[in-house]
Amino acid sequence: MEHILLRDLDIPDIWQFDTYMANGGYDGLKKAVADHTPDEVIQIVMDSNLRGRGGAGFPTGRKWSFIPKDAEIKYVTVNADESEPGTFKDRQLLEKNPHQVLEGSLITAYAIQATAVYIYCRGEFWDLAHELEVRIEEARAANLLGENILGTDWSCDVHIHLGAGAYICGEESALLNSLQGLLGQPRVRPPFPAQHGGGLYYQPTVVNNVETLANVPWILLNGAEAYRSIGTPESPGPKIFCMSGHVEKPGNYELPLGITFRELIYEHAGGIPNGKELKAILPSGASGPVLVATDEVLDSPLTYESVEALGSTLGSASFILMDEDTDMVWAAAKMNHFFKHESCGKCTPCREGTFWLDRVYERLLRGEGTARDLTILENVPRQMQGVTLCALGDFAANPVLSTVTQFRAEYERYIQSPEPAAASNMPDAAR
Amino acid sequence: MLAEKYADRIEKIFSKYPDKRSGIMDLLYLAQEEYGWLSEDTLREVAALCDVDPTQAHSIAGFYTMFSEKPKGTYWLQVCTDLPCALRGADQFYQELCAYLDVDDGGTTSDGLFTVEQVMCLAACDKAPMLQCNFHYYENLDMDIIKGLIEQWRAQAQQEAAE
Amino acid sequence: MAETVTITIDGQQFQVPKGINLVDAAKMSGTDIPVFCYHPKMDPVGMCRMCLVELGSVVTNRETGEPDVDDNGDPVVRWFPKLQTACTQTVSEGMVVRGATQRVRDARDDILEFILTSHPLDCPICDKGGECPLQNLTMAYGPGESRFVFDDKIRLDKHVPLGDLIYLDRERCIQCARCTRFCDEVVGDDVLAFHERGRRLQIVTISDPPFDTKFSGNTTDICPVGALTTADFRFGARPWELDEVPSICPHCPVGCNISASTRLDRDFGGKKVIKRIMPRQNEHVNEIWICDKGRFGHHHARAEERLTTPLLRRGDEWVAVDWDTAYSEIAGRLKKAGDNVAFLAGNNLSNEDLWELRKLAHRTSNTPRLGVWPAFMTGADAVAQAGVGTGTRLQDMGPDSAILVIASDFEEEAPVWWLQVKQAADRGAKVVVANGRPTKLDRYATEVVHYEYGDAVAVLNSFAARARSKNKIDADFTARVDGAAELEAELKGTRVPFADAAETLLDAEDLVIFAGGEGLTLDQHRELMQAAANLLLLTGHAGKPNNGLVPVWPGANLQGAFDLGFSAETTAALADQPPTVWFIGSADPAAEDAALVQSLANAEFVVVSTQFMTPTAAHANVILPAQSFAEREGTFTNGMRRVQRFYTAQGPVGDTLPEWRIYANIGARLGGDKPRISAALVMRDITQNVPRYAAMAYPALAAVEKQFPDVGGDDLYYGGTAYTNTGGLGIQWPANAEDESARLQVRPVQLDGYQIEGLFAVPVRVLYDRSTLFEQSEMMHTHVPEPFAEINNQDAAHIGIVDGEVIRLNVNGAQHLLTARVNGQAPAGVVLVPQLLSKTPIVIGPAACAIEKIGE
Repeated sequence: MEHILLRDLDIPDIWQFDTYMANGGYDGLKKAVADHTPDEVIQIVMDSNLRGRGGAGFPTGRKWSFIPKDAEIKYVTVNADESEPGTFKDRQLLEKNPHQVLEGSLITAYAIQATAVYIYCRGEFWDLAHELEVRIEEARAANLLGENILGTDWSCDVHIHLGAGAYICGEESALLNSLQGLLGQPRVRPPFPAQHGGGLYYQPTVVNNVETLANVPWILLNGAEAYRSIGTPESPGPKIFCMSGHVEKPGNYELPLGITFRELIYEHAGGIPNGKELKAILPSGASGPVLVATDEVLDSPLTYESVEALGSTLGSASFILMDEDTDMVWAAAKMNHFFKHESCGKCTPCREGTFWLDRVYERLLRGEGTARDLTILENVPRQMQGVTLCALGDFAANPVLSTVTQFRAEYERYIQSPEPAAASNMPDAAR
Repeated sequence: MLAEKYADRIEKIFSKYPDKRSGIMDLLYLAQEEYGWLSEDTLREVAALCDVDPTQAHSIAGFYTMFSEKPKGTYWLQVCTDLPCALRGADQFYQELCAYLDVDDGGTTSDGLFTVEQVMCLAACDKAPMLQCNFHYYENLDMDIIKGLIEQWRAQAQQEAAE
Repeated sequence: MAETVTITIDGQQFQVPKGINLVDAAKMSGTDIPVFCYHPKMDPVGMCRMCLVELGSVVTNRETGEPDVDDNGDPVVRWFPKLQTACTQTVSEGMVVRGATQRVRDARDDILEFILTSHPLDCPICDKGGECPLQNLTMAYGPGESRFVFDDKIRLDKHVPLGDLIYLDRERCIQCARCTRFCDEVVGDDVLAFHERGRRLQIVTISDPPFDTKFSGNTTDICPVGALTTADFRFGARPWELDEVPSICPHCPVGCNISASTRLDRDFGGKKVIKRIMPRQNEHVNEIWICDKGRFGHHHARAEERLTTPLLRRGDEWVAVDWDTAYSEIAGRLKKAGDNVAFLAGNNLSNEDLWELRKLAHRTSNTPRLGVWPAFMTGADAVAQAGVGTGTRLQDMGPDSAILVIASDFEEEAPVWWLQVKQAADRGAKVVVANGRPTKLDRYATEVVHYEYGDAVAVLNSFAARARSKNKIDADFTARVDGAAELEAELKGTRVPFADAAETLLDAEDLVIFAGGEGLTLDQHRELMQAAANLLLLTGHAGKPNNGLVPVWPGANLQGAFDLGFSAETTAALADQPPTVWFIGSADPAAEDAALVQSLANAEFVVVSTQFMTPTAAHANVILPAQSFAEREGTFTNGMRRVQRFYTAQGPVGDTLPEWRIYANIGARLGGDKPRISAALVMRDITQNVPRYAAMAYPALAAVEKQFPDVGGDDLYYGGTAYTNTGGLGIQWPANAEDESARLQVRPVQLDGYQIEGLFAVPVRVLYDRSTLFEQSEMMHTHVPEPFAEINNQDAAHIGIVDGEVIRLNVNGAQHLLTARVNGQAPAGVVLVPQLLSKTPIVIGPAACAIEKIGE
């Protein structure tokens, strides 16, 4: 089957403007502008049941429909701050099929009548972002963006904003702050980005993930119904699965939602190297609970709902696979260290919790862990869950809790002393 | 001074946004490119360009890992050792790299050429071990490849010094 | 009363104003929802997560609009599945809150445990200990013992100076951002910020000068831990040793309510001393803020240089004498001098002092000369007519309001008003700033008017003309204004050079005018005040709250001096008819006015009551040691005509007496009554003799009522430290416009500019100066600039001088060496000369001047 998103796998030069145009490039945008009102475009995307590919799976068309019509200034912001460990799909899209992402963002901009699109690229995509600027100029030269797009009275410019190394800026309100030159910390919501006062420069704003937008041109060209025929009714469309860790053929795989874990891992990604057994799966990078690779899991279909039923989340579909030799305490420590490093520090549970857990893991891995540490590893993530300003606190709790509960024996092996260490939280002077 | 030397680039940066403050990250990059790192004086310079208090520029520079408020080596090597990379040997690769360059974690070689750091996920998990050198990706590495690259960089630095 | 909604908190129903913050609503209803980051004077940020509650709303039937009820007849509540932060909620009809359930308690315990993990347990040596929100909430919530291993704790810097007034302990900081938000949101000086992220998030500044805001001390009050402390108080005393004494700041016309924290102190011979000044809540005046001058400018009260005994001049020597000797000497001289005495009242004499001074003066003459100092502003009659309405609260001014600030460098002259006007602008109030030069308030102005110095009256007059031509005259109101028709006729055809500014003001529902005296002669100032009254009375912006005129008097109690019969015109007239005897009460004219120095030198006899040996006192024949505001009771009347009490905070220094008693004792020797035994009784005399002050008896002035936000009391978590107002909210005397039966008067104003050719000097006022009282606070000396003159860039270039160069200023026949400031702020042809940066008088009003470059 031809790829809808990773079209570079079929047409290696698709990144080139001419090649893209020769293969139906920007036809979706042209069709939207020529044949549809903005509201109709929103309706088509709603009908397609496209769900956000950034991790939360929120229906894209509905998100667009929240933008108040009376707002004078509206923005589209493309979330290209791809930073979740195990996720590298947006990078491939932006590198290898950039015009499709641009086209998708312009259709979105048309649908909400935005005056500008900002592509928030993580700073590490330095080369990519500078290439993307050239792509934008190509599209501008063809009147596909800029003033009076395709001869209409709608004008919309596209700009790139480079982040500078902060996972939290993938959270949409932190992203908006960062774009505005403020500290990249999440905002209090409501107001949500789509609402007055909540978006970029406090104007109504749609924030969409790169992969989400890459779906949009196809939907416009082929219709909602055709799109819904791919995948499952609740989770239609193609999805890019990022395969990393202990896997024979790491990389991105575009497959319809609804295939099974086993198909994905063994048929498409070549299974586990060196004939090892698969031990654990992180289906949504570091931020979702780990799944033990049982047959039940392997035979489950990959949809947002079914993965949730297994006790994890599909998220951005970033599969980190771990073979039988993997030390799960070490893996959890790695992930917690990531969240500790990336916690913005704005709210207490995440800032203190990730730091505390990091210290406990350090001790554990040094062989100085205690039984009390194990209870802390069970309690502290629970204290973080559900009470933080953004989802990072919940994310951070997942790898710790899910490994402590499912791989407890591995933790116990690290505990040398069964007695809790004396709590000696005394002032310097008293020591 | 950035304002004189890069007037066009600065104008282009500001033209993207409705307010000057939004240009601060681009300008910090520009300043870092020019001076190698962000000293307090540089932060003041950027703050003045963006019409914000210098403390705000300091704050932004401190929040993000790609801005450096300390001098770095000519080649700033950022090795991803996050879980997906680590599962493919990134930890060992990093240790060997440090040993090869004779630096500690996060350290700079005595000749000032290389700074070696661990960083969080760089969205190249399928091509581990990997690193960024001055923000450019180098992927599917092993010690042989990196040694070759290091020789190239050394030669490049020598050549530049000679010029 | 605003629209209310019914909410349920822990099973009890309350009516609260619609749309207010849930934490505030709970507090108003007597329920505590603990917070660290939330502050009732700032926007919520949801950072600390301490205020978690169970939140729900009553389910209403869509058809009937009635609440659905369950089998027990209780309303059905739809609950949020997760706990919600109360601080990010605004109340709405049917909101249901549970804050006392085990689930909520557990969640708050968890948050507190997190906050305490790396927080040092150094309460025994922490300045905040005893009045610390974290300490208090730890008693109420949180686990009894720590599970956090001490060696895991993060280590950060503990003594970080953020400038020289405020110190930061980074380990104590709990990252609530109250201080950064205060600087950014409230003050607009975003000089504090977070650096790094995660657990390494810490407060920094690299601003130059660091932490450069006139309100920095407030951050230490709202800091919920001991992370921020003042250089004044840190390691100074424990909060529980302190007696809080209600007081009024003696430095400016705002009249900030303050609390003097006092204790018996070893360093002062075991005597009571002010250890710190804290803000005291008065939502009509300063809310809960004070400026750094008010906070740190109290050291004169126990300064070593205080005069402690009466001094008599014997030739070139001062001889200490007892009070009787001094009184007899003075009484004899006054008796002989008769009409030849001038009485000069300083700007921070209390009303009681002024009253007794006035009585004393009347003993010497039926028509005594009663002058004020400083004397460059006048217009008390305009204030009496059109002064701002009683009940005015700047914090209530918003989108429907306009505020004009004219002829004042507002932040320098009245910092807390500046803060409130800035915040009004943030809320959408239209602010017009009119002056001869840019000032900091320009940043927040809707319209900025930079007129030529000398044109201030004409500009304000033209606004009234615009009101006429745009049909903004309030005919109902002008029916009781005499001279309105004549004034309107006179205004016809007046050119309106700043029409946008005029219309910005005229379009608003409410209008307040703050009028200062910068760049005006005294005659012009009288006209400026009249022009303000004209505008306000013609347009009906008088006689009601949030409308009217506020003079930006120099000093804490010039309003009181005017109310009690002293005038600036009298002072001005002394130049032409100098008296032979001067009686000067706590004023230092010799530091400001060169002409008066001569006059004093020529005088036969000079009496000065003062706390310090000032340049004026140096001319005295008798010096009477006076008490500071800290040693006695009294009242000040602020610029909004609010009479407010201050109380005795410390015992007297040496033999000093309150000035009212000194004056009364002298009066008694001239046949007057025996002195009253207390300030309260002096005020009783005032109430019986001065109709405007009839209501100002001490018990009435001491009355307090519940204020919102309810930040006083022991629950420090909510607003911060020490705001309780037990000393009284004071009473405003109503302007004539508020009496609907009163006739009001307007008249055309004189529009004359200056007759000055070429370069001229304009005196300006700066907050941090070397005035008598303030210069005693050594810790502020680094903030007081060396004497300087600000010169226009072109003028400077023309003369060939650069910024920072020492120049010679020739003015009024004298020469002064001053540092030149060339920073684009001074208008062409003008030299701005700050007052009181030295003890040498330079220029007291607009005057021709010349600038010379000093050699190579």
